[in-house]
Amino acid sequence: MAPERTAPERVTGTSTDAEHELDRPWVTVVWDDPVNLMTYVTFVLQELFGYDEQKATTLMLQVHQEGKAIVSSGPRERMEHDTSRLHAYGLWASYQRDS
Amino acid sequence: MTPFRRRGDRLEAGFVAAESAVLTVLVDQLEQVLAGDDAAGDPVVDRLFPAGHAADPDLARDYRDLTESALREGKADDLALVRATVPVEGGTVRLDDDQARSWLRTTNDLRLALGTRLGITAEGAPEDTDEAQLSVYHWLTAVQGSLVDALVAGGGRRR
Repeated sequence: MAPERTAPERVTGTSTDAEHELDRPWVTVVWDDPVNLMTYVTFVLQELFGYDEQKATTLMLQVHQEGKAIVSSGPRERMEHDTSRLHAYGLWASYQRDS
Repeated sequence: MTPFRRRGDRLEAGFVAAESAVLTVLVDQLEQVLAGDDAAGDPVVDRLFPAGHAADPDLARDYRDLTESALREGKADDLALVRATVPVEGGTVRLDDDQARSWLRTTNDLRLALGTRLGITAEGAPEDTDEAQLSVYHWLTAVQGSLVDALVAGGGRRR
C-alpha cells in the first residue's frame, strides 16, 4: 500500500512553522512486544493493510530488531483508526506525528 | 492437541477434554477482566488497551473515549465465539476463516494476559515461574501458532 499523504490546503505561498507542522503527516507505529508471535504480526500486517508477504515480513523484522516500525501514515483520524484495528488484534501500537 | 490444519474451507484441530476445560477457564477469566469496572492499574488491562498516543495524555484520552467500547465489544464477541466452538467433551475444533480470526485474536489476548501476569520478557519467563502456568502459556502459543500457519498456508488473507 502506498502511503497516502494528505496535506492541508495552503492559503498563501509562504511557509510558516505552523504550516509546516500541519504538513507533517501522522504515522502509526507498532512496537516490539515479547509475547506476539512473529508469524502472527506478519499475518496481521497483511490482513489489515493489504501488504504483500515480503513487505509485511520486512516491517515485522524491523519491529523485532529495531523495537518499532512505522506501518502506515496519513491523516490523524485514519491513524487513530489504524491504531485501534491493531489493538483489536493485540498488537502494541500507537500513533504520532511523523518526526 | 492436534495442531490446526486446513481441510477444504475449514480449519480443524483436535482438543482433548482437559484442553477444552483449560481454554474455557481462561476465556472465563479474561471475560471477568474485561467486564471489571475497577480495572485501573491492572497491567493486563493496560496491555489489552494500550495508550493510543504515547506522549500526549489529551490525545490518549480522546483515543480511549473514541475506541475503547468498540474494542471491548469486539473482544467480548470473540470470546463468545471461542466459547461456542470449543468442543467441551474434547474432539474437533472446526472453524471457518472468520471464526479462525476470532480464535487468533482471543488466543493472542490470552497469551498477552498470561504473559503479562507471568512477567514474560524478550529473554523468556522468570526462573521462578510456575511450571503449570508456563505450560499453559506454551500450549496457547502452539494453538495460535498452528492456526496462523494454517491460515497463511491456505491463502486465508482477506481480499
